[in-house]
Amino acid sequence: MSTQVHASVDESTVRQLSEELGEPEWLLETRLDALDALEDLDFPDVIQTPGRLWTDLADLDYDSLVDPLGAAEEKDQVGPDGVEVLSFTEAVDEHEALIRERFGSVIDPQTNYLTALSTALFSTGTVVYVPERVDAEDVKVRTTMNSRSLFNYTLVVAEESSSVRLLERQETGEDVDGDRYYSGLVEVAAGENAYVQYGSLQNLDQTTYNYQLKEGVADTYGQVDFIDCNAGSRLSKSSVETHLRGDGSETKIVGAFYGHEDQHFDIDARVWHRNENTTADLVTRGVIDDESRSVYEGVQDVGRDAWNTSSYQRENTLMLSDESEADASPKLIINNHDTEASHSATVGQVDESDMFYMGSRAIPERTAKNMLVEGFYVPVLEEIAVDELRDDFERLVRDRLDSRD
Amino acid sequence: MATLELNNLHAEVAEDGGETILRGVDLEVSSGEIHALMGPNGSGKSTTAKIIAGHPSYEVTDGEVLLHLDKDEFETDGVEIDDDLTWDLLDLEPNERAALGIFLAFQYPAEIEGVTMVNFLRTALNAKLEEREELFEDDEGEADAEEEDDAGYDTSPMEGDVDEGEVGVAEFQQLLQEKMELLDMDEKFAQRYLNAGFSGGEKKQNEVLQAAILEPSVAVLDEIDSGLDIDRLQDVANGINALREEVGTGVLQITHYQRILDYVEPDYVHIMLDGEIVKEGDADLAKQLEEKGYDWVREDVYETA
Amino acid sequence: MSSDQDHLKETETEARFEFKKEESSAFEAEKGLTEETIRVISEDKDEPEWMLERRLRALKQFRQMPMPDDWPGAPDLSEVDVDEIVPYIRPDIETRGGAENWEDLPDEIQDTFDKLGIPEAEKNALSGVGAQYESEIVYQNMQEQWEEKGVIFCDMDQAVQEHEEILKEHFMTKNVPASDNKFAALHGAIWSGGSFVYVPENVTVQMPVQAYFRMNSDGMGQFEHTLIVAEENSEVHYIEGCSAPKYSEFNLHSGGVEVFVGEGAHVQYSTVQNWSKNTYNLNTKRAIVEKDGTMEWVSGSMGSKATMLYPSSVLKGPGATDNHITIAFAGENQNIDTGAKVYHNAPNTKSTIESKSISKDGGRTNYRGLVHIADGAENSSTSVECDALMFDNESTSDTMPYMEIQESKVDVAHEATVGKIGDEDVFYLQSRGLDDDDAKQMIVAGFIEPITEELPIEYAVELNRLIELEMEGSLG
Repeated sequence: MSTQVHASVDESTVRQLSEELGEPEWLLETRLDALDALEDLDFPDVIQTPGRLWTDLADLDYDSLVDPLGAAEEKDQVGPDGVEVLSFTEAVDEHEALIRERFGSVIDPQTNYLTALSTALFSTGTVVYVPERVDAEDVKVRTTMNSRSLFNYTLVVAEESSSVRLLERQETGEDVDGDRYYSGLVEVAAGENAYVQYGSLQNLDQTTYNYQLKEGVADTYGQVDFIDCNAGSRLSKSSVETHLRGDGSETKIVGAFYGHEDQHFDIDARVWHRNENTTADLVTRGVIDDESRSVYEGVQDVGRDAWNTSSYQRENTLMLSDESEADASPKLIINNHDTEASHSATVGQVDESDMFYMGSRAIPERTAKNMLVEGFYVPVLEEIAVDELRDDFERLVRDRLDSRD
Repeated sequence: MATLELNNLHAEVAEDGGETILRGVDLEVSSGEIHALMGPNGSGKSTTAKIIAGHPSYEVTDGEVLLHLDKDEFETDGVEIDDDLTWDLLDLEPNERAALGIFLAFQYPAEIEGVTMVNFLRTALNAKLEEREELFEDDEGEADAEEEDDAGYDTSPMEGDVDEGEVGVAEFQQLLQEKMELLDMDEKFAQRYLNAGFSGGEKKQNEVLQAAILEPSVAVLDEIDSGLDIDRLQDVANGINALREEVGTGVLQITHYQRILDYVEPDYVHIMLDGEIVKEGDADLAKQLEEKGYDWVREDVYETA
Repeated sequence: MSSDQDHLKETETEARFEFKKEESSAFEAEKGLTEETIRVISEDKDEPEWMLERRLRALKQFRQMPMPDDWPGAPDLSEVDVDEIVPYIRPDIETRGGAENWEDLPDEIQDTFDKLGIPEAEKNALSGVGAQYESEIVYQNMQEQWEEKGVIFCDMDQAVQEHEEILKEHFMTKNVPASDNKFAALHGAIWSGGSFVYVPENVTVQMPVQAYFRMNSDGMGQFEHTLIVAEENSEVHYIEGCSAPKYSEFNLHSGGVEVFVGEGAHVQYSTVQNWSKNTYNLNTKRAIVEKDGTMEWVSGSMGSKATMLYPSSVLKGPGATDNHITIAFAGENQNIDTGAKVYHNAPNTKSTIESKSISKDGGRTNYRGLVHIADGAENSSTSVECDALMFDNESTSDTMPYMEIQESKVDVAHEATVGKIGDEDVFYLQSRGLDDDDAKQMIVAGFIEPITEELPIEYAVELNRLIELEMEGSLG
């Protein structure tokens, strides 16, 4: 599979890409190293049980999906005063030292085959820089993909005692014949006592294969919250991970997805407790309909030195159709006994007695079901600080429900 | 006769740079007496209680906690010691202190799943009897194996099957039943898991039940009255009064409120402020406090100081 | 950075290659596990041709299959050298299995036996010391009663001779085929001893059937095979193994258990295992449950260096039920990787899994479980509960459940908690007169109580006593 990509992507492609963007030498080197590494790297981890592979990423025809020099998009990047919201190219021009220091510091570009591919080929991105003690709301980034493939990169740096809430969304614009590929890497660094809420709403069209990896690092008393909403794409592998490296750091990872038709979502939420007094709360809720399939892996990993850890995880899947499939694996890896940890997972359908109750109050079946599905998402929607994200996801859910037969 | 004596007790939280909480507490509680220890939140009342019982979160930096036992206190243990004994409690483990007759009723009792009340209490009672044997053996000197005749209190479980160092199941059931009736507790409590899913009031009742069974020389009751409705408050008060009257227990009652003192009248009232006892008196002091509040004490104390 | 990594990768590959070469040269040596070894075993047992064929086929599969060590967190099995096994299983070689005398046993094992208060004669039998324990007599009376009802309870070797038709149909065919995993294949090649239980239609066996004393000669009990066939509406409770540590110089135990639960039948399989701390305990246990049948697995895993044990139930018929109850205890240097697998392949099937684990002194426990609900298995429900207790910071406690749900009209719930023994809880108990050890033991006993209450009383008592022994010295 990797040879497929090698056929169309070589060193000269990467050099051309980097040159067109006017990048400094170190960045080109990083890209070329990533390209070199492709051969030896594995695809992202996916769960395998006897006789079954939960998501097959190796099976995609990357060669025909990837068109690095043809990338086309529209991008909106807005933010309030006091915080810098820059395109990646601008950021490299204006803050080269910062970018050089931070780029790849949260996600190793060579984590796996797809991160390396993304690092070698990304052509667009956003850098959000929040200076010390600045509070910023409503940073919004919107990417509309107009080409066969698009590789995107996002970096959020929140300095000491700052806070920022941002929303990044991905959509597809102009139609392209055949399948498409979107790849996004997001690095979030919350400094001491800083707070970042990074929300994302992925609504790519259903011919798009989507790979996203979002990782955050929280310093002392820092907090990184992720909200990961997935509605679009043909197949998504979306991993959200927080590294709690600072004493007293926290994270909340909220996930919401709605799959229908033949969509396949592979959603991961992972937290690494690596210091004392850290707290994590992982909440994911998803609905699957038609022949769609969801895969969820949650990991709470408590390191040997993570004294006084609190870690919680909940995952609930609602199945609206018999042809759908829900796979889930919530994992606890505990190496420090001074830990309070729990997880729970459920899979089920809309509760029949709830339906009956609503029916007895004269609510038609369809309305009742829609209300219950919308209600199902409430616990995760309540966590979203950016109104636009909540409203848009709610609307997406309602549209899907309305379009059901 | 038993006497618990706190002398110049200083203590802080047991961690680096731990906060100092007690700054020289002096207090004496003897058998049959009822003391009320009052004070605003954070004054050090609960810390005093926990240190008496040996809680590991606090470090005593100065002073002592002594327990004097007159020989009548251990006559029933079958030991032959002519002198009265004095123990330095700070040298002892929590369970050794319990064996010597110190009882702490917790403000927030632990909930322990899977362990039934009846199993727990019988284990505790037998552990106490066994531990006493060991503690007194060390002090016995020229031991005389001769058993003393029963000379203890009428209801003492220690009259029981001392030969094996154990109270049998049937015997214990009966004892438990009696004590539960006294406290107006439902029989089904015996089979429930220790405090698991108990209401706040049930937990407090359960603490008093445990005291009734373990028959301590000195009981420290940490806010035994909080979270109780009036009926249960009366049951609990009955239990405390019975402890004094039937067992001769000395009671140190820690409370914010006058309310329980209407049912359990204190012989002495101590008021604590910022880690020290600043005012002492009889039951009237508590009533005065009820009327005037802690600010009155604070002003009074700091003016004179 | 990448060039460094490349370099590392190369040396690693090379090292692996070297290792392989060594391994294969050892394999060719005479002492290795070869076809000839298998023929000798089979011939010695005077087995029919079909059994020999199955053994040989299994050996071939064993050689082809990968080690199950690439799972996340899987125990390290690199010390398991199956070629070492030959002297223990070849009847023509003077056996070195077990210890010759009681005194030769490791001190810790002698100590445990003494503390469990097991009489000398039983000690010898249970610990694997060669003496024959006359267990047959104990069972004589019971066996007569059973025989009247058509119940069969006998040695597997005997069963191969006397109940050939049943075995031909059920032995490692549709339940646990040798192709299931590497150690099932090894087991299929060299299995020896074990029990065969057959319960005819509508028969209830009142007393638990115990294989307690059956593991009494060398080699047996290490690769034993248990086959239980419970016909329609029958009922049987089978108890295997024992809580006493079993010592063998060879460090691999790889048993196989196959249970057939007929329509409306009810089988309970209970085992408390306490292998000596040098043992790799790698078992394959499975039940196929027909319509309205019930399978109950009760397991306590105490000993061994590493255990991989995931009893599974295939709920094949509508209304079939599975219950799993497991306790795992891992102390110093132990890696206890246990769990459960349930396949809901029919409507109205139900499973409950309850797992408790305790880790201390650097031990690792892992719950690894799979629940699969197939498309069409509507109105099925499953509930999984895992609780872990950790004693100290050197220990590890993992939970790795996998759920595959292909049917929407289901009720699936999984819950897990990890906690420690609370200082406040210990202090509370201490303030009531219990010393530190007793307080912790009481909390542990409370923790596993929901499981011990499901065990036959003598097992519950033994399990509690064992856990007390394991905790001794490590507390305070």
